[in-house]
Formats: sequence, structure tokens, C-alpha cells
Amino acid sequence: MKTQLNRRDFLKIGALGVMGAGGTAAAVQTTGNSQSVSHHPAMQGMDHGEGTLPGVGDVDFEKNGFNPEEILTDFDYGKVSTLPDGRTLREYEITVINKNIEIVPGLEYPAWTYNGRIPGPTIRCTEGDRIRITLFNGSNHPHSMHFHGFHPGEMDGVPGSGPGGSVQPGDSFTYEFDAEPFGLHLYHCHVFPLARHIAKGLYGTFIVDPKEGRPPVDREMVMVMSGFDVDFDDANDFYAVNAIPFYYQNHPIQIKVGEAVRIYLVNILEFDLLNSFHLHANFFHYYPTGTSLTPTEFTDTIIQGQAQRGILEFSYKYPGMYMFHAHVTEFAELGWNGMFEVME
Amino acid sequence: MSQISSTSSRLNVKTIALLLIPIILLGGVIALFLSTGGGLKLTSPAPVENLNLERYVLKRGSIDLQIQNTGPEEVKIASVIVNSAVMPFEVTPSSTISRLGRAQIHVNYAWTQGEAYGITVFTSNSIPFTVEIPVAFETPQPSSQTFWAFTLIGLYVGVIPIFLGIFWFPALRQLGRRAMTFLMAATAGLLLFLGLDTINEALEVAARVPSAFQGIGILGIGAVATFLLLDAISKRQTQVTGNETERRFAVSLMIAIGIGFHNLGEGLAIGAAYSVGEIALGTFLVVGFIIQNITEGLGIIAPLLRDRPTIGRLAMLGFVGGAPAILGAWIGGYTASPILAVLFLAIGTGAIFEVVYEIAKLIQKDTAKEAMPLTVFSGVLTGMLMLWVTGMLIK
Repeated sequence: MKTQLNRRDFLKIGALGVMGAGGTAAAVQTTGNSQSVSHHPAMQGMDHGEGTLPGVGDVDFEKNGFNPEEILTDFDYGKVSTLPDGRTLREYEITVINKNIEIVPGLEYPAWTYNGRIPGPTIRCTEGDRIRITLFNGSNHPHSMHFHGFHPGEMDGVPGSGPGGSVQPGDSFTYEFDAEPFGLHLYHCHVFPLARHIAKGLYGTFIVDPKEGRPPVDREMVMVMSGFDVDFDDANDFYAVNAIPFYYQNHPIQIKVGEAVRIYLVNILEFDLLNSFHLHANFFHYYPTGTSLTPTEFTDTIIQGQAQRGILEFSYKYPGMYMFHAHVTEFAELGWNGMFEVME
Repeated sequence: MSQISSTSSRLNVKTIALLLIPIILLGGVIALFLSTGGGLKLTSPAPVENLNLERYVLKRGSIDLQIQNTGPEEVKIASVIVNSAVMPFEVTPSSTISRLGRAQIHVNYAWTQGEAYGITVFTSNSIPFTVEIPVAFETPQPSSQTFWAFTLIGLYVGVIPIFLGIFWFPALRQLGRRAMTFLMAATAGLLLFLGLDTINEALEVAARVPSAFQGIGILGIGAVATFLLLDAISKRQTQVTGNETERRFAVSLMIAIGIGFHNLGEGLAIGAAYSVGEIALGTFLVVGFIIQNITEGLGIIAPLLRDRPTIGRLAMLGFVGGAPAILGAWIGGYTASPILAVLFLAIGTGAIFEVVYEIAKLIQKDTAKEAMPLTVFSGVLTGMLMLWVTGMLIK
């Protein structure tokens, strides 16, 4: 859209004059050829109204085929069997599907997905397990799965690393490796152009539990922070945890006072340098990359660059509604905002 | 006799039938093309959408965008982002806007006086349209107060300077024939410059006219029609009166009309800018307008210097030349129609160039009686330079 503002050069010069709006006499200022616009200090007190909070309503979850409510706690342990050497084998089948996802009501994004959901399945296993993931490419572009963690070069899912580096449409490839090190990891497509392949939705969480397990908690949740560049200008238009903007703002996550909560937090946000997580009225223990059982920090705000991730542990002392959001506040108002409803 | 008429009428029927054949064939071709696609693959991979912002209205705690769908197909508004915040919004009458349909997007937003806002409207096909509000400012609503403000603006930039120019009349009457011719040439130069300025402005506004309405076409039609119409009127007047004095007055009146349309366009621009808070009519600018537009008054009286027009006639000329600025400010302040603006500016362009043509004819008569090799050249150039130099005050 074009504005009506550039009609004549002279209209841009100087400050507001002659008569102010609503009968307010504004100072007449002349600034010659300067393009700057001065504001009278008296205007400071003229802020207008309370306004409305940012946000949108619900999208069609049925049509999307997934719901952030389920993604929050949906851990996929795979098809489990025992290998002759006694180790656990976990087998997964993942299909790349092109799919239109309704991001905000009325706006569909032509996404690329693992198994039709964003983020893709949360693959969860224990350190030392044998992992076997068959990727079937049901889309019309080559794709791959690149895991963060230890694995042989041909299992890296990067073009040039062999058949698994770029799985052609209609083809499939089986990635197989031992799950290590323990921690919170992720996977994503690594086919060129990388930024686009990630931003279109090809990413997911990969959790490797330590052999002895983590101390038990009452609630475990996965939160993947990402954004959507719906107009393809390499800048995100919407932000979210678990893909749908404002979902947990519209549907607060219900927990109880004193309940121990553990969040597996992954940042895969493309185009922006940083993302962050801030918890209201509380502090959390933070385990960067989850590779240690000792927290490094007790804080209420952390920042993550792309592919950084970490585990948060906390519990609430008081009942109430508490926000959690990116403390890059712009992201919060563009969708990355949620609520915990803490009940007695 | 009757045979001839029946022959001619039979001929007419035949002619009509012959005229209709290509049209009927055209209908067939269109129908064939629409049903088969004519063998071309013309479906676009991405939808073509276009939204035109006509106006934004800021009220306490809310922003309204008045938009028109100027794309080839209907458009659905999906999301509105104000300064990096996804905001709830309402669209009346409907978030689905048909081709060339209009709608109003209402957003409750606690904007702050004097700050800048960028709004992105996403359609359901993820196509973004951006609106910039460089200075947020409560949009003046029609009231006696704003009405008076627009009237004052028009008075300052249109009426007062032109009347000031007309006050030169008694002094200029003392001039000799050569000086008068020089002044006429200067008026022609002045008008040429104004004409160019008007075209430039019309082109700028035409670029904002929704493409379906072809702003350049409106400009061309308006300018050519005005030029030819005024030319016809002037020729008829010469035939009817043949009176030199009346003829010169007619030229003056036409100059006043041309300048009046120019000032109408100027008023529209100022009114529109004032209503979005972008106007900067500092005292310096008003002074600049008075200085530049005083030359317009001079131009209006130049053809009359050897006559004795009544005060009433002079006042009428000043009114015709200046008052449209007030009208323009009213229209521009309360509505914003680039189509209307282009039309007015086109009429102004046609009128101004026709008047230059009339003046040229008058000058030709003078120079036929007496050789003035450089008077016309220096006069025209003086007129153009006058506006160029005074223009520096307001650009």
C-alpha cells in the first residue's frame, strides 16, 4: 500500500503548525529544509487509550493435522526392540510432506514438514541406544535429516556425504547411529538453500537421556522456538513456540503449585540472530544443551542462537497466570508468547 | 424520393449488419478463449493481489484503514501487524473484499501522538501490504473548527497572495507598450512553469491511482478536453463580440480559471497532508506561498493593463484564481481521492496551456505592430525564473 504522504516536497518540511488537532495549539516551528519533525514536549501526556493486547484467535488444528497442545508432551520413543548384543534399537519412520499450514487464522503457509507437523516428531531415546530412522521423501524437493550428536560422516545428512545427504523425491534413506552424547539436541534438513529448508518447517527435537536418567519431575514439555517468513523476504513475520503463534497465550498450560516442571527448549529460528525465553514471577535452573546434570545458571531469562538449546527446571510457588515469552519483545508481540496457569 | 430513402435505409440496415459482424465474431473468439484458454497456460503460480490504501483515520485508541482492492481478484484480509505486533482487527463490511470493492480495517491500538507507525496487512495468500504513518496525529473530523482551519489555509496560500498581485494594477497601467508586452511574456513564462509543475504533480498522483482507473489516461483526457473546450469557447467569443477589450478580459478570466485549477490542486494536496498531520505550514512556508502566488495575481491582470476594468471585475478575477485553494483544502482534508486529484490537476494543465496559447496570440498582435526582438524571450524567461526562484522558498 502506498500512503498519501509524499504528495509535495513542501509538505514534509518543518513541524506541525497553524492549528493542532482537537483544538490543541501546537507550537509553530520552522526548520527550514530539514526533514526532521519535532514534537512538542506537551504531547508526551497525550497517549491515546489503553488499546488491545496483541494476539489472534485459533487456527484450524484439524486441517493442520497437529496441535501445539499435543506437541508439548508428545515424546516419540520409536519402535523398540533389543539387538543381539542386548542394546535397545529404536526405529522411526519419517516422511517429508509438503503441506499448507494455517499459521494465523486465514493465513496458510506452504510449509515443508516431517510427518506433517511442525516441529517434526520429538525423537527420544537413551544414551547408547541404536537409532534407525528411515526418511521417506514424499515431497518434490530433495531433503535430508541432519542430526546434532555423534555419528559417522555418511549419516550426517549433508549433501556430499553420500546417499543420505540429499534424499531425492520418492526415495528413502535410513540413518543409523548410536545415540550420544546425552543431552538435548535437534535435527533438521541440511539441503541447499539451507535457510529456506529450515525456515519452511523441517526441524525437530532429538532428546538423548542419560543412561541413569534425569531426576524425576512431574511434568516434561518440549518447546521449539521458530518463526515463519510468510512473504519470503528472509525476515520472519510471525514467531512461536511449537509453530502456532499465540497458541499458549490463548490456551494457557495448566500446572500445579509446587509441581516440578522440565522444559526441553530448542531454538531453530532462522533469519534472526537470537531468540530468548523469559519466565514470569519465577526462576529456573538452566542446563545448556542438557549435557550435564548440574545446572549452570539460576535465572529467569536465557538467550539462544540458532540450534542452541537447553533444559529448564522450575516450579511455581504461588497460583496465578504467568507469562512466558521471548524477551526479544518484538517476537513476543508477533506470536512468541504463552501463559502458565498455576493452580492450587 | 421514397425509393431513395428506402434505399438509404436498406443501406443503413446493411451497414449496421456489416458493422456488427466483427463484434459478433469477437464475442465468439472471447467465448472460445475463456472456455479453452486458447492453448496458453495463463494460470499464475502465485495470486496477483493489490490493495490500495485510500486513507487512514486515527482516533483515540484506534487506527482505521480505508482500503480498496484494486487487484484482478477478490482478496481476503488475514492478519494485521502494527509496529511488530500482531493485532486483533475487524474488517467492515467483510474481510473478503471483491474486485474494486472497499473495506475498512479497524484496529484498537494505543498509538502515541507524534510517533511513527508501520502497519503490515497480510492477505490470506501471505501477500503483505504496508502502510506507513510517519507522524501519528488524531485525524481531523469535519467540524466547524477544522472547517475554519482549512478555510484559513486556502486563504493564505490562494486568495490573499493573488489579491496582493492584483493590487499592482494601477502601477502597471503606467507602463509603455513594450513593457506591457514584456509583462505578458512574463505571464506566459509563469504559466508555462505552473503548467509543468501541475503536470509533474498530476503524474505523481496518477501513480497512486489504482491501475484499473489509469491515472495517466485521466490526466490525458482531462488536459486535452479542457484545452480544446477553452479554445472553442475563446474562438466563439471572438466571433460573437469581436471586441478587443472583451477579448482581453476573456483571456484574463481564462488565466484566472487555469490558475484557479492549479490552486485547487495545491489546496487538495495541502488539505490531504494537513489531515494526516504531515503538513508543516510554518510561518516561513506561508510567507513562501504568498511570495510565489503573488506572481499568479500579476499574471491574471497582465492582459488587462490597457483597459479600465471595474473593481468588481478585478475582484471576480482574484476570486476565481484564488478561492479554489479553499475548496481544494476542504476536499483534500476530508476525503482522499487520487482520482479526483488527478482530474483537477489535468483540468488545470489543459487550462494553463490553453491560456499560454491565448497569450501567445495576443503577444503576436503586439509584436506585429512593433519589432521587439528580445522582449518576448526575456519576458518568458523572467516569468519562469520568477517561479523557480520563489519556488525555492517552499520546496
